Amino acid sequence: MSVFIRHYNPGSVYNAKIWRFASTTAETPKLTNGEDDEEFRVLDILKKRDKLQRRAPRKADVPPDRAEKMRTDQKWGDVWPGPKSFHPSSVPLPIRQGYVPKGQAPPGKKANAELMKIPNFLHLTPPVIKSQCEAIKKFCTEWPKLLNSEEAIEKHYPLEIITSDYCHASPVIRNPLSRIVILRIKLSDLKLDKHARDKFLRLVGDRYDGQTDLVTITADRCPVRRQNLDYVNYLLTACYHESWNYEDWEGDKTLQDMEYYDFDMNQSKRNLVNWHLLCLNEENNFSDEEIKLYDVASIPNATEYIESVSSLFNDGESDATLKKYDTSVRKLLGLPDKKIVT
Amino acid sequence: MLSRNIRLLSRRYSQAVTFRTTESSPTQQNENQVGLFYTMNNDVCKQLFAHGGLPKSFMKQTKTFTETALMVRLPALDIIDCIKVTDLNKPVVRYVLYGEKGAGKSLTLAHLLHFAHEDGFLIVHIPWVSDWLRRLPRDKEMSNSQSREGFVDIPLDAAAWLLHFKMQNQVLLKTGDLKTSKEYVWSKRESTPAGAPLAELVEHGIARVKYACDVIDVLLKEIKLLSNAKKCKTFVAIDGFNSFFYPLTRLSTPTKKKVAPEEVSLTAPFMEITKNDWTNGAIVVTTDQLAVPEDRQENYLPKYLLYQKGFEHLDPFVPMEIGRYTEREFLSCASYYRDRLWLRGPPELESELKLASACNPYNFMELCAPL
Repeated sequence: MSVFIRHYNPGSVYNAKIWRFASTTAETPKLTNGEDDEEFRVLDILKKRDKLQRRAPRKADVPPDRAEKMRTDQKWGDVWPGPKSFHPSSVPLPIRQGYVPKGQAPPGKKANAELMKIPNFLHLTPPVIKSQCEAIKKFCTEWPKLLNSEEAIEKHYPLEIITSDYCHASPVIRNPLSRIVILRIKLSDLKLDKHARDKFLRLVGDRYDGQTDLVTITADRCPVRRQNLDYVNYLLTACYHESWNYEDWEGDKTLQDMEYYDFDMNQSKRNLVNWHLLCLNEENNFSDEEIKLYDVASIPNATEYIESVSSLFNDGESDATLKKYDTSVRKLLGLPDKKIVT
Repeated sequence: MLSRNIRLLSRRYSQAVTFRTTESSPTQQNENQVGLFYTMNNDVCKQLFAHGGLPKSFMKQTKTFTETALMVRLPALDIIDCIKVTDLNKPVVRYVLYGEKGAGKSLTLAHLLHFAHEDGFLIVHIPWVSDWLRRLPRDKEMSNSQSREGFVDIPLDAAAWLLHFKMQNQVLLKTGDLKTSKEYVWSKRESTPAGAPLAELVEHGIARVKYACDVIDVLLKEIKLLSNAKKCKTFVAIDGFNSFFYPLTRLSTPTKKKVAPEEVSLTAPFMEITKNDWTNGAIVVTTDQLAVPEDRQENYLPKYLLYQKGFEHLDPFVPMEIGRYTEREFLSCASYYRDRLWLRGPPELESELKLASACNPYNFMELCAPL
């Protein structure tokens, strides 16, 4: 028996000490007790053995499977109260699972590792859920009466936060995917003016879906959900306020940079105003600004024309938009309707 | 003998369907004549289209058929009606013909020209803009403009156009009502005095080719003034107008610099006359895929062909699609070809040709040629 102790001090010489213990055993005098049985023992030289008695194999008293003894009206929630891996005797169902050899059925439930591997929801049968809900009902408050429809909910709670929780059987209960936070908001719910909306759309880029009018901001860069939540909130706030800012260089935006066709800023408006004034035999030497501000409502049939020109540019040129343009121009110029092939 | 029999047979067949109308004046035509052919008077035809205006393949056909027969089609009637009801004191209305290749835009324009001629319009007609900007025959003359810095003249084309103009409007020019408003000085010795008839101006352009481009510039300005003053009414027809808006022409300056269409001195006057700042007239232009190179031929819609610039130049205009033949038009055309012995064979041939040509007038004509 030895102890090996290491003292280690930085800088000093490494020294090791070994103590050796000499063990001592106490010599105790042996007691001789009762050698006084006088009977001789017989020396059995041949060592005839007794015939070995065959032990009759005892029949194992195997009780029938528990699953077979179950009553049909039992409460299943008591049999399988919580989550646990599959056990064949507790489940009175003819379940089969696993590799199917050709021409045979899949392996049965007994001694079936496949059934034990997969997570089961036997503890979450509808009656159990129902009873559990009943049990926790007394802790719940009533649903607000005014939030009786989807629209009402959307109106009062426009911001939508989407996270995912994961439940799986593994040594760790945490799933890295559960940190991801998605924020969704309808663009129309944000208070933006024309310029701010345009800038906001440019800032969010492809996070905006024009079809559904939803802005979706996803954050997964922080390790914890809480941090990601804070981050998406920050992003939304920052984009919103930045879109209201007006930088100096934004004034340099020209007509070519426009992402949509604005009738008031284009040549067509000038054409329209000039045409109208010519019809009235009025002088027209308007500057660009005056043209922009000119109220076209005074021109008959102009609104329809403006709409059709805008749709021709914004929706692209097609037979439908051209037809619309045709009819509106004819109305504007006072020409008869198009003849139709009969 | 045999050929006569065949002729009689096909005549008899063709007479089952009426395909011809005797109403040869476009001013009188109406919807009842849609799909029917009318024959243009040879003299008028010569006067209007002697220097171009009808497509080459159609010209060949007229020679074969020994007559110029145009089909009365709905878009043309529509525009004629519009022009008839337009208040001429209002700014001019612009019509843009568009359609597939070979749908008959140029022939519709020819029909309209005939109408304008009958109706007493002064005609300003460019047969094919690409002839100026994109066609480069060996004798094409390009020179730097004398009067305006940085512009390119195409004097021969300009003179040819003046000749065309003179030919088309010989009647109106002869009357001598049309006079210049001010004096134009061309050089030290040459000048056109104020009050000179327009014919003199045109003659000067033809005689002195050097000044042809400037003469056109002046001429169109004068026409605008005269129209405004109600001295005449003017019909502007330009075929292949979108050629003016394709970024580059195939012309080059003597120093081999590529020329944009705005730098050609002929572009500006025609841009001026297609604006709607004058009255007492009508403007019909066509946009054609064939007028621009292949990289701009993806579809035939006018905004695409005109670019935004051209669209804004013409806006608001009346777009007018020239479509394929309708059922009725196709049958009438087929029986016309049969009448001219251009198409022979069993009557089932028609349905086959209809499918093969997809009712496209040009394709139909081409398919019938070898039959």
